[in-house]
Amino acid sequence: MYRSPPGARGFLVAIGLLGGALIVAALAGLLIFWGLQAAFPRPVDESYPGYLILVFGTIVLIPILVLLGRRVPYLTDWYYLLPAITFLLAFTLFPIILTVYYGFTDYTGIRNGKPDRSTETEIVRVEGRQLFVDGNAHDLLRCDQPDCAGQALEITTRTQRARVTAEQALEGIITLTAPPPFTPTLVYKINDFKFIGFRNFAEIFSRAGAILIPVLIWNIIFAAGAVFVGAIPGLILGLMLNNKNLALRGFYRTALIISWAIPVVISVQIFTAMLNVQFGPINRLLGLLGSYPVPWLTDPEWFKMSALFISLWLGFPYWMTATLGALSTISDDVYEAAKIDGANGLQTLTGITLPLLRQPFIPLVLGSFAFNFNNFGLIYLMGPQPGVEGRPSTAQAADILITWAYKTAFQSDGGQAYGLGGAISILIFFLTVAISLINFRFTGALKEVR
Amino acid sequence: MAALSRYLGWGVLGLMAAWVLFVYFPNLLARIQPNTPPGFIRIENGWVYALSGLLIVIGLILAYAWLVTYISNSRSNRKRSFLPLFGQGLTHLFMFMMLVFAYYPVLQILAASFDPRNTLYRILPPASDNLLVRARVIPDFSQLSWENYAKLFDGFILYPYQAVLLAIAALCLVLVIAMAAYRRIVGDDRTDSPWALIQGRSLTVFAILAFILVIFLSPVQFTGQGTEAKFVLWVRNTLFVSGITGILAVLLTATAGYAFARFNFPGRYTMLLVFIFIQMFPGFLGLVATYILISNLGLLNTFTGLVLAYSGGIISFGTWVYKGFLESISKSLEEAALIDGASKWQVFTKILMPLSAPMFVFIFLLQFVGTYSEFIVANLFLTGVESWTVGMGLRNFTTGQFSTRWGLFAAAAVLGSLPILLTFYGFQRYFVSGYTAGSVKE
Repeated sequence: MYRSPPGARGFLVAIGLLGGALIVAALAGLLIFWGLQAAFPRPVDESYPGYLILVFGTIVLIPILVLLGRRVPYLTDWYYLLPAITFLLAFTLFPIILTVYYGFTDYTGIRNGKPDRSTETEIVRVEGRQLFVDGNAHDLLRCDQPDCAGQALEITTRTQRARVTAEQALEGIITLTAPPPFTPTLVYKINDFKFIGFRNFAEIFSRAGAILIPVLIWNIIFAAGAVFVGAIPGLILGLMLNNKNLALRGFYRTALIISWAIPVVISVQIFTAMLNVQFGPINRLLGLLGSYPVPWLTDPEWFKMSALFISLWLGFPYWMTATLGALSTISDDVYEAAKIDGANGLQTLTGITLPLLRQPFIPLVLGSFAFNFNNFGLIYLMGPQPGVEGRPSTAQAADILITWAYKTAFQSDGGQAYGLGGAISILIFFLTVAISLINFRFTGALKEVR
Repeated sequence: MAALSRYLGWGVLGLMAAWVLFVYFPNLLARIQPNTPPGFIRIENGWVYALSGLLIVIGLILAYAWLVTYISNSRSNRKRSFLPLFGQGLTHLFMFMMLVFAYYPVLQILAASFDPRNTLYRILPPASDNLLVRARVIPDFSQLSWENYAKLFDGFILYPYQAVLLAIAALCLVLVIAMAAYRRIVGDDRTDSPWALIQGRSLTVFAILAFILVIFLSPVQFTGQGTEAKFVLWVRNTLFVSGITGILAVLLTATAGYAFARFNFPGRYTMLLVFIFIQMFPGFLGLVATYILISNLGLLNTFTGLVLAYSGGIISFGTWVYKGFLESISKSLEEAALIDGASKWQVFTKILMPLSAPMFVFIFLLQFVGTYSEFIVANLFLTGVESWTVGMGLRNFTTGQFSTRWGLFAAAAVLGSLPILLTFYGFQRYFVSGYTAGSVKE
C-alpha cells in the first residue's frame, strides 16, 4: 500500500500536481486547436467549434494522469475526485469568479466586450501601423474618445481575427499602437467594459435606505414567514396523521403531497390566475362570504400576503412528511409510560411529542429558511408587481435580493447591468454563507465530518 | 440571566404578533376598495351562513359520535367516552378541508384545460342554477371539449414503429403500476418476489423504450402551425436534457462521494468545505459568465451546452448525500476484500455500486425533477421553438398574451406535469427519505 505525505504538505503536493496536469492539458488542447486553425484555416463565421479544445485537452490529460499515477501512487486517491472537481471548476467556480470580477466592472448589455457589428468599416489600405478607411474613421467607428485614443478594435480577414488598440484616428487614418499581425480587410469597434473598483457597491449602499434595506427586511420576513406558514399546518397535519387508529391515514398522506409534486412553474402561475382581483376564483369565494374584491396582486402589501399564501400551499406537504418521519422515530414506550403516569393527551403533546420534535426540526427549519431566502422561482413567477414609489422597477414590493439581482442583470428595464447584478450576487453570497454557518453551528454538521 | 433572555425573547415575539394583529392587518383590510366589479357576486354577511353550516356539520358529527358510543355502551354495558370518536370525526373534517385546499388549483387547471373559451377572464357569468358555479367558485363543466389538447397535437405525425413502441411502453407502465398496487394491497414487501421481479423488468423495458422514443423523435414530425403544436417536441427535449443531466450527476458524484467517505487523504476536510461553500453562491447569477463560457465553446443552442450548464448545480449536494449514505454502510466487507487483494476501484465497482442503487436513483431523480421545469437557463441558451423545453413553452403561453392562451397553458401544464407526477409518486419514498434525512437521523 502507498502512503501520502501527511498534513498540509501532502494536500498541497496533490493539488499542485493535479492542477499542473490540468493546466498542461488545457494549454496543450489550446495549442493543438491553434495549430489546427493555422494549418487548415476556416472562414471567421464558421470557424472550428471551441469544444475541440476540451476534446484535445482530455486526450492529452489521460496519458499524463496514467504516468503521474505510476510515479506518485497516492495521487490515485484524488483521481476519484477529479471528474467532480473539473466540472466544479469549469461550470461553477469559473462563472463565480467571473461574476465577482464583473461586480467590479461596468459590464452591461451594451458594454459586453464584444465587437459592435454595426460599426463594420472596410479597410482600403494598410501601411505599417496605419489603416486607411473610406471616410471619417471616428464617425464610422463611433469611438468613445474624440480621437479614438486607446479604443479597442477588432480587425478581421476572411479567416483571421485579432484584437488591437488604436493610438489615434484622424480623418481616414487609424493609427494602431502596434502593426497588425496580418493584413486586415475589416475593422470593428469593441464595446469594452472597464474596471471601476467599488463603484457598484457604492451605488448599492448610497441608495440603501430606498432599496437594499427594505428588500433585505422583506427578504428575511418572507423567508421566516414562508417557513412559519408551511411548518404550522404541516406540523398539525403530521400530528393528526400519526394517530394509528385513524382510518384512511395512508390515503390522506399520499393525496396531500400533491402540491410538492407539481412543478413550481405550473403551480405558481395557476395561483396568479386564481388570485386575479376581478376574475380570480379566490376573490369570488371571498365575495360569497361577504368580502369586497381583495387586491391580491395589485396592492404592494397584499402582493406580499399572496407570496406567503402561495408558500403555505407549496410548503405544508414537506413539513407534514418531515413531522411524520420524525415522529416515527419516537418509541411507543415513551407514550406507554406517560399513560401509566396518568398524563392526558394535551400533557403528552406538550410534554413529550413537541420537545422530542425540537431536535430534528432545527436543521430542517434552518435549511428551509435558507431555501426560501433565495426562493427565486416563487417571486419571479408571480409576474409583474405593483410599483412602490421611490424604488426602481427591478426591486418592487415583493422582490427579494435574488430577484432584484436577476432583474438588474437580465431585464431590459434594469439596463442589463451585469456588473451591478454581480455586486448584488456577492452580497447574497455573504448572507447565504452567514445563514449556513449558523446552520452548521446548530447541527454540528462540520464536527461530524472531522 | 438565561430566564431573563428567554422572557425577553417571548416579549419581543409577543410585541411583533401584537403589531401584526392590531396595526398591520387593519391597514391591510383598509386597502380593500368597497366596490363590486361587474359579474362579481357578493353576499352581505355570507360568512355567517358559511360558519353556521360548518357548525351544523360539527354538531352532526358530535351527535353521531355520541349516538354510536351510547348504543355500543348500552350493548356491552361499559362506560366509554364519545370524545375519541368525535375527535376522529373532526380530524376527517379537517383533512377533507385540507384536501379541498390542496386540490382546488388542480381542479381549476383541469377545468381550464377542457374549456376553449377562456372563461376565466369572461365578464358574463355562466348560466347555471348553482350559486357556486354562477359565482365561478366552482368551474363551469357544462361545455367540455378537447380543443386545447387537440391544438397541442396539431399536425403531429407519429410513425408506425413509434406508435408500436409507444403502445408497448404504455403497457409496461400500466404493468408497473398494477404490480405496485397489487403488492401494496397484498402487503408484499420482499424485493425478490416474482411480482417485484415483473415490476422491475417492466420498469426497465419502459425506460429503454422511452429512451429510444426520445432519441428518435425528430422535429420533422411536427408539421402543425403555431408554437403550441410543438408541445410534444418540447416534452421530448426536456426528457432528453433532464435525463442526460441526471445520469451525468450520478457519474460525477459517485466516485467523489466514495473518495470522501472511505479515503483518508490529507486535505479531505478542506475539499469538503470547498464543496459546501461553492454551493452557496447563488448559482444562476453566474449565468452571464456561464453563457460566455458556453458561447466560447461553440455550444450555444445545443442540448450539450445546456446539460453542461446544469451539471455544476448538483455536484456538491449529491457528493454530500452519497458520502453520508456510504458512511452509514459497514466497512467490514470492503476491508475483507482489500485484505484479499482487491483494489479500491474493484471494491467500489463490485461491492459498493450494487448497494448504492437507491442513492443513485435519488440523485438522478433529484436532478431530473430539478431541471425538468427549469426555464431561466434554458431560455438563455436555447433559441428557436424547436429546441424549447417544457418550462420555456409554459412560460411563453403566459407572458405577453396571457388572457388569450390560458386554455393552452392549462392543457400543456396538465400534460407536462404528468411525467413529474408519475416520477414523484412512483419514487415517493426516495424523495421523502432523501429530503427529510436530517429529521430521521437520531
